[in-house]
Amino acid sequence: MKIKVDFKKCQGNARCWSLAPDVYKLDDSGYILDGDIEVLPGQEAVARRGARACPERALTVEGED
Amino acid sequence: MTRNAVPEHVPQNLVRDFSIYTSPGMERTPNGCPHAAMGYVHNFPPIFYSPSNAFDGGGTWVVTRAEDQRRILGDPATFSSRRGHFEKSMGEEFVIVPLESDPPAHTFYRTLLNPLLSPKRVEAMEAGARERAVRLIEAFKAKGSCEVMNDFAYPFAVGVFLQFLGIDESRRPEFLGWADELLHGTNEQRQAAMKIVAGFIRDLVEQRKGEPTDDFISFLLKASVEGRALTDPEMVGMGVLMFVGGLDTVAMAIGFDLYHLAREQKDQARLRADHDIIRPAVEELFRAYATITPLRRVTQDTVFDGVPMKKGDVVSCPTMIANRDPSEFPEPDRIDFDRENNRHTTFAYGPHRCIGSHLARRELIIGLEEFLNRIPTFRLKPGEAPITYGGYVFGVENLVLDWT
Repeated sequence: MKIKVDFKKCQGNARCWSLAPDVYKLDDSGYILDGDIEVLPGQEAVARRGARACPERALTVEGED
Repeated sequence: MTRNAVPEHVPQNLVRDFSIYTSPGMERTPNGCPHAAMGYVHNFPPIFYSPSNAFDGGGTWVVTRAEDQRRILGDPATFSSRRGHFEKSMGEEFVIVPLESDPPAHTFYRTLLNPLLSPKRVEAMEAGARERAVRLIEAFKAKGSCEVMNDFAYPFAVGVFLQFLGIDESRRPEFLGWADELLHGTNEQRQAAMKIVAGFIRDLVEQRKGEPTDDFISFLLKASVEGRALTDPEMVGMGVLMFVGGLDTVAMAIGFDLYHLAREQKDQARLRADHDIIRPAVEELFRAYATITPLRRVTQDTVFDGVPMKKGDVVSCPTMIANRDPSEFPEPDRIDFDRENNRHTTFAYGPHRCIGSHLARRELIIGLEEFLNRIPTFRLKPGEAPITYGGYVFGVENLVLDWT
């Protein structure tokens, strides 16, 4: 599973990281790192939850809109 | 309710009587729930005009739908955060930045301050905050009862603020006194308290110029924005904003959350049984008990979804209304720790997303964890009625709990 990151939309809410700290990595200011994320097997559920928690809709699970 | 003239450009069919201070459930109410009391606005047009909603008694547009609030808060070019409210009401020269600034200047301030309040930095503050919470709770535990706001919520929030600012704990009683007047005083007391806090921070700036340490003010003194040093009024404004933003809101959130858990024994039992639920529960409690209303000023005549707004109009986006928008949150008044798609706007939205949100979230998690760990099953003390109120910061005035 892949998460698409729309870096420009990120406002540093960090709710993805709060719910799935192993999936989402932040920079020192609390914004998500640029670049798509390859989700490891077994982490799909938390990754999906983290993506859905983004108020700015900066994260999309590939194949879902 | 003072009712001002409705500006000519506002269509009469969009005018509704509404005041975040005086509408039903907004004035001081025993056993109240101001958040639920506001639900009726979802029967109004999605954006309506209230002639008597602003701080100064003036009128504002009120945006009720979560999606519309996001569009407005995400468009600072049309909806400016620069209201000039503090300077006007206080006759002060300091500028409340970054709140009262727009991009691109806003971006420079945020870039400077974000690392100080980032999730990582907040983790480093965790131990101190937890120790503070534990000390406060242990002090009243044996009594079998406490008044949450004064025994726990304020001293905890003020303590964390002092820790952030690098100010000695011994100053806490002073700060608590100012906070009390700032939050509960008359208008004159509020302004006087605000001036005292500003004066304190101004003195701190002077002091640190002479003897820098590794605290917040020393950091600001070394910082640069757009290739220049920060001005004194900017530094004072930032300090005041941190105090006002981080104190009231956190204390009130603690109050509303414990009020909820005292009433809803099932929810309390569930959190006690499974601490892993506390994180999502805090998020749902943030949604249900949002306390602030972001305000924006229209920068140019514009038509928003058919609603004609004029340059200078004030647009209010009450987060507690968006968070109970039935078109976004099914059964919005039901507090459900398993709620999915919890896209609440408690920390606002867009570039002005609350800079202290990570710290606030952590404070709430620590506060609930330690309270539940140390205090047995609690309920509202019989014969006592918690007083709640609306306004630009929703609040709980007193909350007496009992676990005897």
